[in-house]
Amino acid sequence: MSNFSRRDFLKTSAAASLVMAGGTKMLLAADEVLKVGVIHMGAISDTGWEYFQANAWRALEKEFPDKVKVTVLENIAQIQDCERLFRQLSTQGHKLIFGTTFSQYASLKKLAPMLPNSHFECCAGIDAGDNLGVFEARHYEGTYLTGIAAGRMTKTNVLGWVGAFPVPQVIYSLNAFLLGARSVNPDVVLKVVWANAWVDPGKEKDAVAALVAQGADVLSGSPNTPVQGLAAEEKGVWSIGSTGDFSAYVKKKQLVSFELDWSSAHINAAKAVMADSWKPESRWLGLGDGGFVKMTTSSPELPESVAAEMKAAEADIISGKLKPFTGEIKDQSGAVKVAAGQSLADADIKSMTWLMEGVQGTLPQN
Amino acid sequence: MNQFLPILIATLVAGTPLVYSALGELVAERSGVLNMGVEGMMVIGAVVAFIVMMTTGSLFLAIIAAMLAAMLLALMFAVLAVSFRANQVAVGLALTIFGTSLGSYLGKSYVGMAIVMEPSVLTAYAARIPLLGSVLGQLHPLVWLSWVLFAGVWFFLQRSRAGLILKAVGEAPLSAHALGYRVSAIRYLATLFGGAMAGVAGAYISIVYTSLWTEGLIAGRGWIAVALVVFATWRPVRCFLGAYLFGGATIAQLFAQSAGIGLPSELMSALPYLVTIIVLVLISRNAALMRLNIPASLGKPFTAEG
Repeated sequence: MSNFSRRDFLKTSAAASLVMAGGTKMLLAADEVLKVGVIHMGAISDTGWEYFQANAWRALEKEFPDKVKVTVLENIAQIQDCERLFRQLSTQGHKLIFGTTFSQYASLKKLAPMLPNSHFECCAGIDAGDNLGVFEARHYEGTYLTGIAAGRMTKTNVLGWVGAFPVPQVIYSLNAFLLGARSVNPDVVLKVVWANAWVDPGKEKDAVAALVAQGADVLSGSPNTPVQGLAAEEKGVWSIGSTGDFSAYVKKKQLVSFELDWSSAHINAAKAVMADSWKPESRWLGLGDGGFVKMTTSSPELPESVAAEMKAAEADIISGKLKPFTGEIKDQSGAVKVAAGQSLADADIKSMTWLMEGVQGTLPQN
Repeated sequence: MNQFLPILIATLVAGTPLVYSALGELVAERSGVLNMGVEGMMVIGAVVAFIVMMTTGSLFLAIIAAMLAAMLLALMFAVLAVSFRANQVAVGLALTIFGTSLGSYLGKSYVGMAIVMEPSVLTAYAARIPLLGSVLGQLHPLVWLSWVLFAGVWFFLQRSRAGLILKAVGEAPLSAHALGYRVSAIRYLATLFGGAMAGVAGAYISIVYTSLWTEGLIAGRGWIAVALVVFATWRPVRCFLGAYLFGGATIAQLFAQSAGIGLPSELMSALPYLVTIIVLVLISRNAALMRLNIPASLGKPFTAEG
């Protein structure tokens, strides 16, 4: 990999663009190396979101050690800089370019049609567009399964969730977490605390303390640092690695976890570009082979019966037999949101802004 | 009532980094130096403490190293702002940006590690104290030490001759100079003290508070410290209590949320800043009060010629 700093990148880019000035051809010769560019808004080392994005291009490099060359730019912070760098990567002959976060989506939507020499992919983007593919994980399939473990292991019947921001992605995750828990233990409630920050480990720790003080004995959440797990361990309660396996930090009290594995998105896109068959696609994948949600470490203390229950549910979700958002589901006010026997459509899941009955906590009202 | 103790403890824990960093900044500002680089110095303190703790396992060494590292940044600030009379606000902002980036760079290979600390022997002893033990026993000795620091800073500023000189340098540097006090040297020392305290605050966050290093760890607490000094109108007691007020505002809203009390959490997150603005508006309306409290030469470079 060539992990450039931004400055190195700018230095070499001037020279490179001269070379490229002769014009680039879209088709790759058989022995040519595919140049792939990735722009991370944040730091790769955040132990959460960007970290898993980085694992994806690492997997891509491993899959095609001689045929793919990945240029990585991280910590760009300003979206305006991103736009410039996307253009630059494109003029330098990167045929496949990845954005790693939703915040890059609007820019990519605008840029992709203007830069036909490259193909673009944006993680967590909304819809595929001209020359722009998007991919996002069905987080809720992971939280539903971990919810089963939580529902079985809780003694107080109070679960806790530390939310980053109340965006649909977080809301459907926590609703599914409670649905999973209630599928095995109907008495469970879920207390939610919003940290209003994607990364603020100190606050996450305090949020855990607040939840534990309210009786929660199994905790999960959306901000992806190991702090929640560490804080829970300190308090002697279970934590769940949601979108990240933190068993390397949380040695004793991480109950179960799931990870986001984006490698298939990177590898398949690269394959398609090499075969000149790339098309802008919108993918929303969960569990199963090539999916973006992967169940990982379970605690040795997780009873075998519970692990088996999770396995069975996982198989049912993959086969399509089990859809987590199947009625009857009521919201906090008691209104029926999903009628008995009905399943929520993808579009409604993606735009979820209501908390289900049994969630204790509020959504900011607009 | 059973909620009270966890909230109290969480508030003390959350307020401690602000006690250190704000009291340090208070002393610096009282000498007339406005160092807005607290956030950057805290980041460096946090990362250096974490690295030293990981390699040596010694909390003591980790804190000393964090202090020295942050003091090095403070020294850079002093050279530019005191000796070369650069614009203090600009240098302070640069210091934060520099500290934050350097921190990420230094910490790169330490992301993904966590410190497992045995409970301190002192804490175990403290837990046995009747009544107070149930609170003290749950607090790290660094929390107690911040109270000692507060007492020290209060005594220094309000009761000691050296403190009087420091304040004179902040109020009327020309007069202090005419009386034979070395204005620049005193400002250097005050800035270095501010750096050292920011370093401890950072160390406390990475080692005691979260026990890991990750980017974004300080999350604006350095800025809150700067705001806190203004909020406290440059008085140590208000600064000390304000640290817990600011720390407590966050804690209280998190507890309120988990208890199902429906307060808009975004608004509550903004509370420390809102309070600062309100207090600023209130005290600035009273010109006399403002003049009484703000060090007269705050942020102004000093030249002996005037």
